[in-house]
Amino acid sequence: MRMFGKAGKAAAVAAIAALALTGCGRAETGSAASGGASGATGFAKDSLIGVALPQKTSENWVLAEKLFNDGLSGAGFKADVQFANGGVSDQQNQITSMITKGAKVIVVGAIDGSQLGTQLKQAKDAGAVVIAYDRLVKNTNAVDYYVAYDNFKVGELQGQALLDGMKAKKPSGPYNVELFAGSPDDANAKVFFDGAMSVLQPKIDDGTLKVVSGQKTFEQAVTQGWKAENAQKRMDTILAGNYGSATLDGVLSPNDTLARAIITSVKAAGKPIPVVTGQDSEVESVKSIMAGEQYSTINKDTRKLVEHAIQMVQDLQSGKTPEINDDKSYNNGVKVVPAFLLPPVIVTKANVGTAYAGDPVLGPITQGK
Amino acid sequence: MSETTTAPTILEMRSITKEFPGVKALSEVNLLVKVGEVHAICGENGAGKSTLMKVLSGVYPFGSYQGDIVYQNEVQQFRDIRASEAAGIVIIHQELALIPELSIMENIFLGNEPTRFGVINWAEARRRSIDLLARVGLAEDPDTPIKEIGVGKQQLVEIAKALNKSVKLLILDEPTAALNENDSQHLLDLLLGLKGKGITSIMISHKLNEIEQISDSITIIRDGKSIETLDVKGDGVDEDRIIRGMVGRSLESRFPDHTPAIGETFFEVKDWTVAHPQVEDRMVCKGSEFFVRRGEIVGFAGLMGAGRTELARSLFGRSYGRYISGHIIKDGKEITLKTVRQAIDHGLGYVTEDRKALGLNLLDDIKTTTVAANLKGVSKHFVVNEDQEFQVAEDYRKSLRTKTPTVEEGVAKLSGGNQQKVVLAKWMFTDPDLLILDEPTRGIDVGAKYEIYGIIQKLAAQGKGVIVISSELPELLGLSDRIYTIFEGSITGVLDKAEADQENLMKLMTAKRQAA
Amino acid sequence: MNALKKIFGGDIRQFGMIFALVALIVFFQIMTGGITLTPENVISLFNGNSYILILAIGMVLVIIAGHIDLSVGSVAAFVGIAVALAMRDWGFPSWMGVVYGLLLGALVGAWQGFWVAKVGIPAFIVTLAGMLLFRGLNQLLGKSNSVPVPGDFQNIGAGYLPEIGPDTGYNNLTLLLGIVAIVAIVWGELRRRKASIALGAEVEETWVMVTRLVLICGALLYATYLFATGRPGTSFPISGIILAALVLVYGFISSRTVIGRHVYAVGGNKHAAELSGVQAKRVDFLVMMNMSILAGLAGMIFVARSTASGPFDGVGWELDAIAAVFIGGAAVSGGVGTVMGSIVGGLVMAVLNNGLQLLGVGSDWTQIFKGLVLLAAVAFDVYNKSQGKPSIIGLLLKNFQKTPEPQAA
Repeated sequence: MRMFGKAGKAAAVAAIAALALTGCGRAETGSAASGGASGATGFAKDSLIGVALPQKTSENWVLAEKLFNDGLSGAGFKADVQFANGGVSDQQNQITSMITKGAKVIVVGAIDGSQLGTQLKQAKDAGAVVIAYDRLVKNTNAVDYYVAYDNFKVGELQGQALLDGMKAKKPSGPYNVELFAGSPDDANAKVFFDGAMSVLQPKIDDGTLKVVSGQKTFEQAVTQGWKAENAQKRMDTILAGNYGSATLDGVLSPNDTLARAIITSVKAAGKPIPVVTGQDSEVESVKSIMAGEQYSTINKDTRKLVEHAIQMVQDLQSGKTPEINDDKSYNNGVKVVPAFLLPPVIVTKANVGTAYAGDPVLGPITQGK
Repeated sequence: MSETTTAPTILEMRSITKEFPGVKALSEVNLLVKVGEVHAICGENGAGKSTLMKVLSGVYPFGSYQGDIVYQNEVQQFRDIRASEAAGIVIIHQELALIPELSIMENIFLGNEPTRFGVINWAEARRRSIDLLARVGLAEDPDTPIKEIGVGKQQLVEIAKALNKSVKLLILDEPTAALNENDSQHLLDLLLGLKGKGITSIMISHKLNEIEQISDSITIIRDGKSIETLDVKGDGVDEDRIIRGMVGRSLESRFPDHTPAIGETFFEVKDWTVAHPQVEDRMVCKGSEFFVRRGEIVGFAGLMGAGRTELARSLFGRSYGRYISGHIIKDGKEITLKTVRQAIDHGLGYVTEDRKALGLNLLDDIKTTTVAANLKGVSKHFVVNEDQEFQVAEDYRKSLRTKTPTVEEGVAKLSGGNQQKVVLAKWMFTDPDLLILDEPTRGIDVGAKYEIYGIIQKLAAQGKGVIVISSELPELLGLSDRIYTIFEGSITGVLDKAEADQENLMKLMTAKRQAA
Repeated sequence: MNALKKIFGGDIRQFGMIFALVALIVFFQIMTGGITLTPENVISLFNGNSYILILAIGMVLVIIAGHIDLSVGSVAAFVGIAVALAMRDWGFPSWMGVVYGLLLGALVGAWQGFWVAKVGIPAFIVTLAGMLLFRGLNQLLGKSNSVPVPGDFQNIGAGYLPEIGPDTGYNNLTLLLGIVAIVAIVWGELRRRKASIALGAEVEETWVMVTRLVLICGALLYATYLFATGRPGTSFPISGIILAALVLVYGFISSRTVIGRHVYAVGGNKHAAELSGVQAKRVDFLVMMNMSILAGLAGMIFVARSTASGPFDGVGWELDAIAAVFIGGAAVSGGVGTVMGSIVGGLVMAVLNNGLQLLGVGSDWTQIFKGLVLLAAVAFDVYNKSQGKPSIIGLLLKNFQKTPEPQAA
């Protein structure tokens, strides 16, 4: 032990040699073992299924968490459902943890659909199937399926509802309207907006509709992070700046949370409540519709969406190819993602009773009236 | 309150022992204080004076020490400061416990506000504070914020605060340490006045002349033990007698022997004018001119606020005030010192008066501090050679006889004298030609002072110029070869060692009054 | 027990943070049924936290100097988007993108340093403003959208040491790196011992040193093994190499160079430092500028890993970095802290995060645990100091100054 230099080096060399001799180098299993998309082989019935959801910003995500947990466990899987309240980096780390734990399928509700490429590639390399849930994942070929409501259709329905609602109140135009869009980092936000504008743009062009604030483009209409406070602030500003004397007839709102924020703002300004659209069938908004404040919402029953996502997982487990109904619309920049789209339903005060008939939460609320 | 000689005792502390983990701070200390006297406690730094007072005032509660405190003929068991204050014992610490932003009145009644139905009765407070301020002889509006009055007046506010608590035994820890001569004298007179009204005082002080002046008896503490109690009048006590008790031996001389070897002039300052950093038209130095010769110790005398520190710091790389005009000539050439770095590079060093706030990084250890002003001296290509650093610090530890187990000890743990040695080492390592020492022995006990004087003289003997700024005239007289006096920013005179004495220095230091 | 004391130099609690880290790893290894210490997980742990650890290196210097930087997340996002756009729209090749990003970071840092050092506005305010300013610039430049980055740029955040040489069943470069690190540590320790003997300072017993070396080298060897046996195509990540290099360089700068000493001096007592000839303003300027350069680098690594730069990159990073620094023993008042301590602090948080995720604990509970750990770590340190014992970190510092251990494994 007196010749430290030699002793030290010898120790290191010996240890390396030991490692080599034990032959516990990496197992050459190969990464491309079980192809994801083909899903021909299936996997064990009690496998781990990872579900990575974004921030808890709306009731729907909270509901989805419960439904995924219950549904996956009910089908015999082990479920790992995570919210990424800490942002994109949090979601990235959650997905790698799911891979480490050996998840066979990872259902991803992305915060930012373009920032998960590295993690999903890892998932792919580890042999997991990736299903994009509700929001499309962009710029990667490591996504196998997409399951969502038809978002362009959602936009169209919102646009049409806005026109119908205003017409019911005031038979002829011109109507003063304002436009709100969702968060720009959510791929769906643009789709909603484009859908709505496909109905509204012609009316703007022919003068039936007038956007008094002049903010007509998607970039001008965005609501950062889908946050209610941002929408409320923008509405406050618009009202103060443009509606001193003019009457606001309608507001295109992409979802319920924002719709309620917009209504709050209008009320605070002491103006009559305009026709406001929505989406998601949140409890508060359904109550608001029944009270005659918010005009419409969209019923995209989270139960059905989760149900279908779980159905896909079950198909993959048994080796079947999951059902899709759209194989050309959703190009994510690298590939066309096979998708299953569910149809949305517009809900106004007129059909609120029937629309939620089977819903355990909304049903009683709407019937109780 | 007529008794003078055979007065009853107000306080007796019997064989007090206080231990901290690993250290016995006090060992069987006895203290006996008579009613209505001024009782001084003397001892070197770290002897245990402050610890003893903290035991008495309940900072260290009953049960954390051994021994008895008998106060007004009863054994007391103070749990905290409130308990001792309720009994009439009030301690005024060295660092004043006043809040700068609050007014005099609010400070006096802080924690003791007169209330009616839970609401502060400001009318009552004002009436009482006017009365209290009159008693301590402070002519200030009670609404003046504390930060706007000087330290001397703040000290008086502290005493007013104590009087408001109907104090019977007043403890003062180094009350005059930060005061100038006038304020000190006022404070001492006030203590004598309070004594006349039957208030007993205990005073901790390093200023032996003050102790000699006002105290009736003196208890000397050394190394955590009470050594003796002297009766000032009866025993014929003088400063040398007290020092002998404190250091355990007699110091034949307060200053080491030194034969000056003075060379030619090498450093000269001309027409040095500097403005206050905030107040534009206030000049803190007004056309100052002076010179220093090699091997010479030059003293700067002046009352507090006369502009001594301002002069030194403005010369030292303009680290104070705004430069207006002036020239510095060193070795026959004019030099410009715009930054501290330039000053150091030109061979200047400056040891500040406020060691803790301006002189030391208390988080550092001795070796880091020693090389802090000359990192170049222990580094190559901007990389510090830690072995060399250790060696340098170790050399200074030995040559300055710094008391520390190792040079890796934190400077915060050292006593004042040893901290000052480390600061001196830091500047000696820059190898300056001119070293400016601002109050080099403030807060340092007698034994260490002697050693520091020796270091200063040794530096002069090496041919360096040394400037010593001090408020203690005996120190300047004992140490300097020549003394300049400053009054209100102007140099009012210069005296050679032979012709200087306290009286003529004092005259020059208060020049305006002479002229008027 | 006595033996342990000797090996680690005094009180075992001095090494609280390292023990906490080891204990945490062991705990999660057991609780997760052995999937914590798998090559895949350790690699992704490094990949997923290297940018926070890089920020912590810059942040500890800022905090030692007595400041704080709240803008790092926004600066990272701003540099990220600017680089992504430069590569997409101006056709910058990847290497130029990196250079451009570092320059941009320096520019941002000079801006913040100017306000802090020259104008004298507290760094808290300047960087609070910077937090808003650069977040806004990020969203302005990127039109609040994500901008993808090219594949070869992605290497700095998601790349690995390549496979070279004969097929040994291990990644050869990772093995080489591990051996170099071990040899360097052994050599450094011996050299230091020799120097101490020459100076006549106290020297520890031989067996103490040998045991310590065996423990450190053992840990390194195990790490090397983990990194070298990941899935083919993975090995020691490039971002880990960048991190290790930064730890070595900044560890050295902070403890052994003149500028490093000046940072500690300014943080410990600014006036005293100035009166000792330290140009405090220059130090302030440099630490702020350095922080933004590192923030830019962290931003680029994150963008590379994410394959795109987004409008919400870096949100909350400043808090993670600051937490790492304080867990690592820095003082709020400045003057205290070490690069190595901050890395350990950052790893404690990273392992906690990772372990809880592996256990399937939600991010709500994860945040609660992280908050408690931060509080507990600092409380422990404060308690130790009030007891008159040296701070754990003080001793960590001391020991790591002596052992500039490379993070590389």
